[in-house]
Amino acid sequence: MNYIIINNKKIELNNVSEDTPVLWVLRDHLNLTGTKFGCGVGMCGACTVLVDGVATRGCQTLLSEVKEKKITTIENSEDKEMNILRMHWKEEDVAQCGYCQPGQIMNATGLLKENSKPSEEDILDAMDGNICRCGTYNRIKTAIFKASKDI
Amino acid sequence: MGITRRDFIKNSSILTTAFVVGFNIPIKGKAAAILKNNILEPNAFVQIDKDNSITFILGQAEMGQGAYSGLAQCIADELDAKWDEIVFKAAPVAPVYNKPGSTIMITGGSGTIRYHQENVRKVGAVIRLMLKKAAAKRWKVSLSDISTKDSYVTNTKTNEKFAYGDLVDDIQKMKLPNDVKLKNPKEYRLMGKPLKRHPIEVQEKITGKGIFGIDVRLENQKYAALIHPQVFGAKIKSYDDSVAKTMAGVLKIKQLPNNTIAVIAEHWWQAKQAVDTIVVQWDTGEFVKTSTADLKKEYRSYFEKDIHSMRKDGDTKKAIHNASHVVEAEYYFPFLAHAPMEPINCTVYHDKDKALLVVGSQMQNLSRDKCAQILEIEPQKIEYHNTYLGSSFGRRGAVNFDFIIDASYVAKNEPWPVMTLWTREDDIKMANYRPMAVSRAKMAVDNDGNITAFESDIVNQSITQGTIFEKFMFKNGIDKTQREGLENHPYKVTSHNLRAFCPQSPIPVLWLRSVGHTISAPIVENIIDQAAVASKIDPMDFRIKNLQDARFINLLKNVAKQSNWYKREKNSGYGVAIAKSFGSIVAYVVKVKLKEKDFKVEKVWCAVDCGYSFNPLNVENQIISSVNFTLGYVKYAEITIKDGAAEQNNFYDYNVARISDAPDSINVEIINSGEKIGGIGEPGVPPMFAAVINALYDVTGKRYTSFPIKLG
Ligand code: FES
Ligand code: FES
Repeated sequence: MNYIIINNKKIELNNVSEDTPVLWVLRDHLNLTGTKFGCGVGMCGACTVLVDGVATRGCQTLLSEVKEKKITTIENSEDKEMNILRMHWKEEDVAQCGYCQPGQIMNATGLLKENSKPSEEDILDAMDGNICRCGTYNRIKTAIFKASKDI
Repeated sequence: MGITRRDFIKNSSILTTAFVVGFNIPIKGKAAAILKNNILEPNAFVQIDKDNSITFILGQAEMGQGAYSGLAQCIADELDAKWDEIVFKAAPVAPVYNKPGSTIMITGGSGTIRYHQENVRKVGAVIRLMLKKAAAKRWKVSLSDISTKDSYVTNTKTNEKFAYGDLVDDIQKMKLPNDVKLKNPKEYRLMGKPLKRHPIEVQEKITGKGIFGIDVRLENQKYAALIHPQVFGAKIKSYDDSVAKTMAGVLKIKQLPNNTIAVIAEHWWQAKQAVDTIVVQWDTGEFVKTSTADLKKEYRSYFEKDIHSMRKDGDTKKAIHNASHVVEAEYYFPFLAHAPMEPINCTVYHDKDKALLVVGSQMQNLSRDKCAQILEIEPQKIEYHNTYLGSSFGRRGAVNFDFIIDASYVAKNEPWPVMTLWTREDDIKMANYRPMAVSRAKMAVDNDGNITAFESDIVNQSITQGTIFEKFMFKNGIDKTQREGLENHPYKVTSHNLRAFCPQSPIPVLWLRSVGHTISAPIVENIIDQAAVASKIDPMDFRIKNLQDARFINLLKNVAKQSNWYKREKNSGYGVAIAKSFGSIVAYVVKVKLKEKDFKVEKVWCAVDCGYSFNPLNVENQIISSVNFTLGYVKYAEITIKDGAAEQNNFYDYNVARISDAPDSINVEIINSGEKIGGIGEPGVPPMFAAVINALYDVTGKRYTSFPIKLG
């Protein structure tokens, strides 16, 4: 039996080909459309999820690689770091079109889980793989920085 | 259709439910038509339910610029509705949502607030007045004893209250008042305030619940992936799909009439994998011999020809002859892809003489009509839903409707709703680029630092020729988008000779955020800078001296002060630029630092005059957006043509700005001049290009006039 754990729920996946990227498992098989497709080649970060707490590109990770692992997606409403980040996302009025934002928030969550007090350089390094075509970068920086103070 | 709409839309909060109560608020020019035909167009802008929930129905597309929230702010203020609790819904296709004075529903030209604020405010004001009248009647008091706030009407004498929803039956029977007055600025509760995006929109966007086109999930929906021609204008000779046919999930493979092959499958990833196994034989035609170098050479050759005159006054030849200083430059602007964050998609369900079309589009009724044309049905038989747009920058307002056409052909006569989803590569290679342009400019200055001549030639493909926009935007061989910002630049110049030409090619071109101004502002603001340097006058002072409009001068003085212009730090480059576009004027000073073979824009100081800022925070957000957006085009992005096809594919070879490119600070000051209201989604882009190249000159002594800028 194949299963993955998504947002703390065990999900059985028996009819999905194991070489399907996690991005498409989430979006098209499980209808969790919060995780976004942006480039399909690991260059934009829109598809970022956490795998066992680590920020991971869903388009570059196959179902076979995450079997029995814990996946956290933007639909999760209980994760501590995510919720603190969300609060500051609102405070800084970050989102414009919003399309990249799930990936930004997931990637920032991964960063704060690994390093709860990132320097500006740490933030730029960690977030450089996440494109925002609306250019909300300055707001993102501030939101992450302020969130880190709250953790 | 066999299935109800509720069945169709399983996953969407913005696309559901029938209306409970609707008001038809005829607006200027529409009332007569509506009355004549005796049709009440449903629920034009505001719906108040008996439980006091209030929904705004908005015809402008939300693509990041804050259209929904901005319009809602206007309506809610005039209506005195409770801000946090109002809900939005995307409007269906109906003439009442057209751009005033036009026959199209369009989100473009930074027009949401400037073209629509007055009408939507009237709607809010009319309904508030009706609610007050209804309450006055019930309480038998005069209107002056009634106040409104947070979706309640209050009897100021007794403190009794009615929720707006309590009065719905009363106002439905009422005639529309014609004695309505809009609030004056002192009465504004929401307008003019730095409100954050509406909390419901924000919540959707930070929890992954917002529905973009790509998130649409209909009952029994299938997915299509495509193969497009790579060489522009190529035609399919034959193709081998023998492997694809046998692959899991594949339902159908078909060649579309537009030289595209589609695989329809249960899931998109299956369709995509199948597409990758198909081998196509192309008839590539003549264009396969073309490269960017060839196009540049061709474009340049028009400089020597008798091309179309855009503006000619005075005697530039004589002025140049008599000048103290003459500067000249040649400019190259590459083809640019919009690369909106959400890959292009469109979902269509064709059911005999009816259809459902769900897409994020900047041009709703024209998208619907194009779909109808392809499905060979009546446009009115299409149920249309607009979703959130995962950014667009013009791409989802394609004048050739490429993605609507693809999706309509894919779903035509098929038994399922089909989402056609492009890859990033499809988008980068399918064109609809900001046109490549080659231009030259010459400026003459007299002994006193007055500009005596401005000559410029601009050569780029027309965006509108051969499209439905041709009749408004293409005249005498010149595209309106070539004129904007160039023929009407803000400087006092005593003679002009401006010329333009539109060559043709099979590469489709399109408006990209700020359109012609992305070309004209860098030309004007760079040649001015060169003229200043040649005249040995400070570039700020030279501009101020040669400008005539006090609004421009104010902004320059503002950014000069903000940036401490006259005491600039050494070892950095400073550049100034100013431009008016889409009704607003934006001035920048930028500070650039060299880093080995690279440069970084460290600081940006900005002053904006958009007449009146309905939401200063959103103005600031749009400037931040414009700065970062432009930096990607200044530093990295370029589509080049080789063997008749785009050489770039995805974000690894078509680079955009990333967080490390964002300036350390972007300071924005807003001047409410009280002039006509301008837009804000685009005006921040054009002067940014010029400010950076001017700053690079300041620090390197080299004029970079080819984009993207490569130092060294
Ligand atoms: S979609 Fe995975 S990184 Fe872009
Ligand atoms: S908010 Fe639009 S792409 Fe980031």
